[in-house]
Amino acid sequence: MFNKSISTKTPRNLLLLFEILSLVLLLVNQWDNIDKTIYYIWIALILIIYISNFILNRITSGDNYIFLIVSMLMSIGIIMIYRIDSELGFKQLLWFIIGIIAFYFTYFMLKYIRGWKNWGKLYIVLSYILFLITFLLGTRKYGAINWITIGGHSFQPAEITKLLLIFILAFYYSNMDMFKDRKYSDYILMGLVYSFIGLLFLQRDLGTAVIFLGIYMVIQFIHEEKRMNILYNIGLFAVGGTLGYVLFDHVKVRVQTWINPWIYIDNKGYQITQSLFAIAEGGFFGTGIGLGNPEFIPLAYTDFIFSAICEEMGIFIGIGIIMLFMILVYRGFKIALNQNDKFFRILAIGVSTLFGIQSIIIIGGVIKVLPLTGITLPFVSYGGSSILSSFIALGILQISSEDMSYKEEEYCETRK
Amino acid sequence: MYNLISVLFKYVFIIIIYLFIFSIIRLIYLDIKSISPVTLEGNAYLKLINRRDSIPYKIKEHYSIDGELTLGRRSDNDVYLNDPFISKKHLKIVEDEEEYYLEDLDSANGTFINTERVEDVVKLSNGDIIKLGSIEFLFVDRG
Amino acid sequence: MKHENRRIIIVLATLCICFVVLIGFMSYFQVFEAEAVKSNSYNKRLWINEEKILRGSIMDRNGTILAYSQENDGVMQRFYKYGNLYSHIIGYSHRAYGKSGLELSYNNYLLDLSESSTIEELKNIVAPSTIGNNLELTIDHGTQEKARTLLQGKKGAIVAMNPITGEIYAMVSLPDFNVNSLSEDWSVISENTNSSLLNRATQGLYPPGSAFKVITASAILDTPNIDTNYVCQGITKIDGYNFSDYNNIAHGELDLSQALIESCNTYFTEKSLEISVDNLRSTAELFMFNKNIPFDLPVNTSVFPKGNIGDTELAASGIGQGKVLATPLNMAMTASAISNNGEVMKPILVKSVVSNNGKVIKTNRREVLSTAVDSLDANTIKEMMVGVVQSGTGRNASIKNVKVAGKTGTAENASGKSHAWFIGFAPADDPRIVVSVILEEEGSTGGASAAPIARDLIIYGLNNINF
Repeated sequence: MFNKSISTKTPRNLLLLFEILSLVLLLVNQWDNIDKTIYYIWIALILIIYISNFILNRITSGDNYIFLIVSMLMSIGIIMIYRIDSELGFKQLLWFIIGIIAFYFTYFMLKYIRGWKNWGKLYIVLSYILFLITFLLGTRKYGAINWITIGGHSFQPAEITKLLLIFILAFYYSNMDMFKDRKYSDYILMGLVYSFIGLLFLQRDLGTAVIFLGIYMVIQFIHEEKRMNILYNIGLFAVGGTLGYVLFDHVKVRVQTWINPWIYIDNKGYQITQSLFAIAEGGFFGTGIGLGNPEFIPLAYTDFIFSAICEEMGIFIGIGIIMLFMILVYRGFKIALNQNDKFFRILAIGVSTLFGIQSIIIIGGVIKVLPLTGITLPFVSYGGSSILSSFIALGILQISSEDMSYKEEEYCETRK
Repeated sequence: MYNLISVLFKYVFIIIIYLFIFSIIRLIYLDIKSISPVTLEGNAYLKLINRRDSIPYKIKEHYSIDGELTLGRRSDNDVYLNDPFISKKHLKIVEDEEEYYLEDLDSANGTFINTERVEDVVKLSNGDIIKLGSIEFLFVDRG
Repeated sequence: MKHENRRIIIVLATLCICFVVLIGFMSYFQVFEAEAVKSNSYNKRLWINEEKILRGSIMDRNGTILAYSQENDGVMQRFYKYGNLYSHIIGYSHRAYGKSGLELSYNNYLLDLSESSTIEELKNIVAPSTIGNNLELTIDHGTQEKARTLLQGKKGAIVAMNPITGEIYAMVSLPDFNVNSLSEDWSVISENTNSSLLNRATQGLYPPGSAFKVITASAILDTPNIDTNYVCQGITKIDGYNFSDYNNIAHGELDLSQALIESCNTYFTEKSLEISVDNLRSTAELFMFNKNIPFDLPVNTSVFPKGNIGDTELAASGIGQGKVLATPLNMAMTASAISNNGEVMKPILVKSVVSNNGKVIKTNRREVLSTAVDSLDANTIKEMMVGVVQSGTGRNASIKNVKVAGKTGTAENASGKSHAWFIGFAPADDPRIVVSVILEEEGSTGGASAAPIARDLIIYGLNNINF
């Protein structure tokens, strides 16, 4: 009577099929010279994804779509990265596994440790420490000082600060009763957020600065009771943006190459034009994996992964990726709407906004709808810190999808 | 050879990904359609613990207990569930002076509260898990 | 709480709109902009095939090889046997400067990349070809060389074509450039003021001057109840503007034939007013003015002014001055139409595309673009044009034993030095070759400077072309 064919099994099996087929493709490609390790890892990964989705259905009473969506995004990304550079693809596979571990770790941390909503000061202090570390140890990479290298591994502290910002905002707005009596607490928050944005500006990490601003504005728009503050914020943003454009050359360059990249094709506009060539070359169906030339795109495995995917898999897959992000964001906001606990509700809003804004900015950037800023496409781009922080964020979203307003402790004990 | 397969696969991949997106959207749509706006009038209600999409018949996420609630397979119950492991008249929950009592109506497969089988009438407390067949409810009393 | 939920939905909707905009833009980009973006010469993908596929050869109508490629140590090299001679026809294919001419417009054929259908595309992927297709041109190498020799030292263009089939025998535009030394000469070529990169034969727009009178004459014959007689006084005033004849010589009493033979300006300016602007324009448009001419190379559209123009302007247009502009190719086609019973033929430069193993892949066939005048009128004008060469302004084009028909033109322009035109064909009774000659800023009349060039080329063509 109930349409049984439609259950979470269908997308899970489609995902499995997708991964097995890509493995077959790899097998055909390497027929003469098979590298066994990649198969072991890839098969292990397929199992991990399948089992994770399976387990998740058992342990969580919350959402079971978001992990599926992310698994699909991740799979597309790994295929593309492996095709561009097999070594990076291999590393990305390992990062994916670490990411899944981080996801479960976050999930259980948030589930069984109480008091997350009371540690606002800790989040603030941690954020500043991360900024300080970046300035002290940071190296300049692609024009921005936002990388630190520890023991041969590069890491982007701002990826973690993003999440801390969401926690700070959740802390502030879920403890409104406490702050209501304190004068100027809202201005202090504003000052705090803008100090972060200012620091990012100094690091020349424009993309992340915009994400910070976006998350702040969204959460403020939803929860701020003094609506005037939103106007102040917008005003401040307008003034800051104009000043940034006038004062900083690197901001001006972004805007110029956005308006007309073709006249700077030799230098400043090189990246964006190469990206447009790739997308145009791909057409609707793409050239086929391995048959295009994504190696012409600079940074094809990180910031410009979307262009590389469009070239070889076609803009239909590109549109598919946009739709996957759209569903992910939709689910995130749906989770927020169903969550009764204010702290987790704001976390869910923050994380969904993060996924939404970040993907819009970078996809818009590479197809020249928006000025280009160097950030990663969550779950798709190569990069350890990006994958890690995205999976932690996903863990936050997963826990937020559960009912946190009940007396959870009793419930859990009795279940055992 | 690889080239041919790659070209073939690019279409296959597109089909798979769109089917994937479609199936998720379909699931979400079904999910939304079956959510009735939660109107919890009384203080106490039953909350479904199972994943609703794992149950092959119509069931709601919440059932509020308004004075009295009967549950069974027949449609004259307040809550009727088309489950072979549930008796026609399975159980009854009654309110008495702000307290809630569960009575098993001689069901074939029994009712369990926190893994203990209900023999006659049992007083419910907040956070109890009521199990019948493969269905589990959480009892919530906000009073 | 309620407020919050509403606001959450607002934010969600905003983000969803952003996503939809991204999808919309991508689709728009793919449908409308991708083609142009792809062909940008900075797109390195354009050159990928170049390294794997032996580019096809280009031959003239007799099989003389004009351009070919050779593989040297895995690197494909393109050779042009005649550096300057085909710089505007074949053009070049150069990594740094992109492509031009037939190398550009027939690139996919030369590399055997057909993107026409999915099956073809599949074929390319499964068994990528390594040898491209060859082009067989309609050009006659000897005539081409002769034409360039005749034009040597001057600025201008020559088009020689077959009036019946539309095949181009020779097309020369000077100044030209050497395609074999692009890297050395590029800065000079691209910056100098005499625009040697421009193919004047198809893209140069010149006032046609008296050569346009052929079209005006067609319009007169097409206008019922028009008085074709006129008394020329050497000068006439239209709307306060003086139109005069060459050296202000009065021709006296004239009919249409005599007016064309003497190239009487006052006759044609006065008659233009009687024809009316709409009729003159529509006749010009039948001769492909204001129309795109389909061709293997880029062609600029000849201009006859649009809208309601004043009498002065109309009178000027009637003698090919004012805002009327024509390409040498279009003027050659005008003469063709007169010789070919009024039918304007599609010009053909590439006769066929032949694969490496001799299979014909594409053939450009004879095609009528429009019927400009009926055959009776065409033959009437043809006789008048024979008169022009026998006893009128075009006497310098006459050939012993061959009946040549033609029309001269001397076009005034902003530079102060007039352009010299000659359009014509021969033999008049069995036309085999049409010639259009323009000498840019020559400063003398078409009859004095352009007609002898046309005569020499016609003589060479009639004796040497393998028709």
